This record gives sequence, structure tokens and C-alpha cells, in this order.
Amino acid sequence: MEYLYSIAILVGLFVILASSFNLIIGYGGLISIAHPIFYGLGAYTSALLARDAGLPVPLCMLLGTLLAMILSIAMALPALRVSGDYLLIASIGFQLGMIELIKNFRFTGGAGGVSGIPAFLVPTFGREVYVALVLGVAVGVVLLVRWIAHSDYGRAISAMRDDEQAFAALGRDAKWIKVSLFALGSGIAGFAGALYAHYFRFVTSEQFEILMSSTILTMVVVGGLRTPWGPVVGAILLQILPQAITFLNLPPALLGPIQGLLFTGLVLVFMFLRPGGLVQAGNTWTAHGHVRKET
Amino acid sequence: MFNWPTIAQILWTSLATSSYYVLFAIAFALVLKVNGVFNFAQAGMMTIAFYAAHASVAYAGLPGSWAALIALVTTIVGAWALERFGFATLRRNNASPMFVFIFTIVASEFIAYLAMLIFGTWPKTIFPQLFWPVTLVGEIAVSAWDVPALVTAISLAASLWAFLRYTKWGQFMVAVSDNANLAELYGINRRSVYMLTMVIAAVFITAGMFLYGTRAQVQPLTSLEMMLFAALATILGGIGRIWGAALAAVLLGIVQNSSILFIPSEWQGFLLYVFLFVAIIFFPQGIRLPDRAKKITRGTTTATPTAPSATAAG
Repeated sequence: MEYLYSIAILVGLFVILASSFNLIIGYGGLISIAHPIFYGLGAYTSALLARDAGLPVPLCMLLGTLLAMILSIAMALPALRVSGDYLLIASIGFQLGMIELIKNFRFTGGAGGVSGIPAFLVPTFGREVYVALVLGVAVGVVLLVRWIAHSDYGRAISAMRDDEQAFAALGRDAKWIKVSLFALGSGIAGFAGALYAHYFRFVTSEQFEILMSSTILTMVVVGGLRTPWGPVVGAILLQILPQAITFLNLPPALLGPIQGLLFTGLVLVFMFLRPGGLVQAGNTWTAHGHVRKET
Repeated sequence: MFNWPTIAQILWTSLATSSYYVLFAIAFALVLKVNGVFNFAQAGMMTIAFYAAHASVAYAGLPGSWAALIALVTTIVGAWALERFGFATLRRNNASPMFVFIFTIVASEFIAYLAMLIFGTWPKTIFPQLFWPVTLVGEIAVSAWDVPALVTAISLAASLWAFLRYTKWGQFMVAVSDNANLAELYGINRRSVYMLTMVIAAVFITAGMFLYGTRAQVQPLTSLEMMLFAALATILGGIGRIWGAALAAVLLGIVQNSSILFIPSEWQGFLLYVFLFVAIIFFPQGIRLPDRAKKITRGTTTATPTAPSATAAG
């Protein structure tokens, strides 16, 4: 049962990550893959503050979220001088640089990571409550993304993404939109990280590497960019399908690579057979739900 | 600490180790210049090259020369498959840079997981030993690996230069990198050129990985990190400038190795990524000499760079 709870929590966390990432990369069109590092920063900050400073866990989670937001702004302000492939590579540099910092500082536990993180809710109310909390947050984030996509702010994001020069010519501040998107998406990722840390109670920098970036990116693309439900489908599918292998009772040395092969193989198949994603993006501005496929 | 022998030794070691970095950077820069893609699947090609050589020596008991040949053939087949089934399809479907990025990184991961499944996660080398005899030249220790590595890198770079300059297909590659549509109007088959570029990249990658694997241990995910070094050199050298990337790889190797004089070795990785972040943001067109920069500034707009320019100066 504990295994199923862990899967449910991971699915919930990946839904949160994929949905928040979709805000940045899908709706905003900002090709940054540094999302996992903000997830990691939220996890590390909350874990260290709760364990070493003895602060209440909810406060630590909020501070983790806040730090992820602040650092995402710190990254976005210089990084948004460039876009496209350049922004992508800049984000890789930022992500890997931050990971090196985490690995080399003693207070972060170095390469060994942070263990003995205080648990939250589970000792008092049981695992079911934590599962409900994570899934509740996941649903909340999906609804938030959906609401943003249909709001004035979402309309501004869409206009900025489609034609930045025209958007700026209308007197709108594209930079503010981009930075706020980064901050919002990264803050949500930071909160997801904090939720992860206080359930699994161990974090290490290896969890937030490039492979994690491609995992989340894949969930968004396979599910469907610029749709509120696409990343949900992607996260559930790509998190659960590789788990099916665990029931084959293979030795651990084989299990990891086979899961990885299954995951990457699925992605490659989906990329070529259904490049628009499982949930195709419609034009959210078409009245009465008439869907027009985006090119 | 800052005496001449120490500095000379670091410079020599940096120069020798930069041999494989130069080869990786040239492969990365060449594919970016001609095919117009940031080929992060290069990490997958590097993994194929290394494990093919490793398996040839460790399991088939073949000598090094045969191992190198088998690695070359295997990597070329891998490059062909990547171009034929991956990039060509993406190009036909007009895939976005993000989509291409996902494909390249996932293809590399797929190959890495395959290597993990077949060879395990323990570090491997091509030959059982990494020890190379050392000769003292003055006060500098020169290993038996250093000179052949440098000769290999220099010979391959010189061959590519000659190929691009003096052969018909080399000229085709230059033409396609300058303007693929115009080149096609003149009867150049761009798909063949893209394929040829991938094959040449495979040659450089195999040579680089063979050199690396005879000097250091490799795990299935090692290549991803090494490829980032190639990407950084390509950016610093200037997008579309193959020799700029090669020079940047040498300089980065020297900076990284000599940084042990100033900072602890564990911070070298951090230094590399800071370079990457700063370089791409503040020098997205690479570092250029002042006179050259002036000429280019007059002829170009100041728009935010958005995509790799296949028409950049070569």
C-alpha cells in the first residue's frame, strides 16, 4: 500500500511540475529547461530550514516556494536577453551551475544529499492525508493554469508569445510578462519540491539534473503543449507506465535501465506518431469551444 | 606553486587533454553550422563509440586498431540512423527547436539506458589499464598518450579543413551552411549533405571518445556532461565558426585545468557552467576580435538572437 501511496504522490507532483512548466514553455513560449532546479531549491530550502532551523514545516514550504521564485527572477532577468535555443542553453548552464553549488556546499549535505527531513502530516494523520494534500494541490494547479489561460493575463501571454514586437508596440511590457511567468511557474515547482521533501524525507542534487528536465519536458510535449489537461495526461501516463515493469520482479540492475528504455522509447514513439501531443491544443479564444488546431 | 615547471606542466596537460574536447567541439559545431541543429544526440553517438570500442577489446579481445575501426563503423551507423529516421523526419515536419531538442536529448538518454542495460553502470575503460608510460622532457612529464592524441586531433582538424576547402562535397557543405535553399537551386542535394555532415561528425566523435576512453573511465551518462563542454566551446567560439569552437575548446581546457591553481578541483564543474551561462547571455554570437566585431555590427541588426544561424561567418 505504501508503494501505491508513493506512486500517487509522485504522479501528483509530476502533474504539478508538468502543469507549471507548461505555463512557461507552452503558454509563454519560453524555452527554458531549468524547471527541476526550482523544484530542487524548494525541496532543499524547506528541508534544511525544517531540519536545521526547526521552523514549522508549512512556513518552510512557503519559504522554499519564495526562494524558488526569487532565484527564478534572478535567472530570468539576465537570461531573457536571449531566446529560443540560446535561452535553452543558458537555462542548462544555470541549472547545472546551481547543482554544482548544492553539491559543493557543506550545509546542503554535498553530493550525499539531505536526509532526516522532518515529516509533515504523515506521523499525525497518516499517509492518506498527505496523498490527498498532494493530489489536491495538483488539481488546484491544473485549475489555476486553466484559469490563467482563459484570463486577461493569459490573453496577454498568448499575444506576447505569438508576436512580441506587436505586443510591445501596443505599450505592453513583454519582459514583465516573461519574468512573472518564470516566477509563478518556478514558485509552483518550488512548492512541489517542498511537498516531495517532507514525504520522502531525503533529497539529493542528482534528482534535479538534466534527465529530470527532459522527463518533465517530455510529459508536457507528449501530453500536449498549451493545454491544461495535456501535461496531466503526460505525467500520469509516463509516470505509471514504466512502473508496470516493477511487477516483473527484475533485479535492480536491470529494472532502472528497462524503465528508462521504456520511458524514452515511449517518448520517441509518441514524438513521431503524434507530434501534437495526446491532447491537441485548441484555440482558447475561439467562442463556444470551437477548437481550431494550432500549427 | 606558481613556478615555471608547474605552469608548463599544466599547460602541456591542458593542451593534451583538450585534444578530445577539440574533436567533440568540432563535431558539435559542424552539425550546427551545416545542419542547423544543436545536436545533443551527440552524447548518444559518443556513448555508442565508447562502448563499441570497449566491447571489441574487453569481450572480443581485439587489438586497439580493430576496436577503433569497429567503433567508427558502429558510430557511423548510429549517425546515419539519427539523420535518416530522426532529423530528416523532424525537418520534413518543420519541427520547432524545442521539439528537436527533446528528440536529441531523449535519443541520447535512450542510448545511455541501452548501454546501462548491456554493460551495467560501473565505469569502464577501453583498455584494461589507464596507465601510460611517462617521459620527462626537460621538467615536463609527457605521457605516451599525449603526443598521439594531439597528432590525431590536429590531423583530423587539418583533414576537415582541406576537405571543406578543396573537395566538391566540402564545398557543398559550405554552400548548404550558407544558404540551403539556394544550394538546392544549384543542384546540391541537401539531404545528402546533411547525412555526410553527420558521418563526418561521427568520425570526430569516435576519435575523441577513443582518446578519452583510453585515458579515463566512462559511464553511460558521462557523455551528456562532456557534450555540454562541446556546446559551450561552440557558443564561445561563435555559432557557425568551426575553428572558433576548436580554439575555444583548447582555451576552455587550459582555463579548467589551470583553475586548480586558484580554486579547489571540485569547483571546476561550477566554473564550466558559469562560463556557459555567461557566454550564452553576454556573448551569444561568440567572442570576436574587435575589428571583426565592428565590421559585423555595421551589417547586422541588434535584434535578440533567437536561433542558430546557419549563415553565420564560417
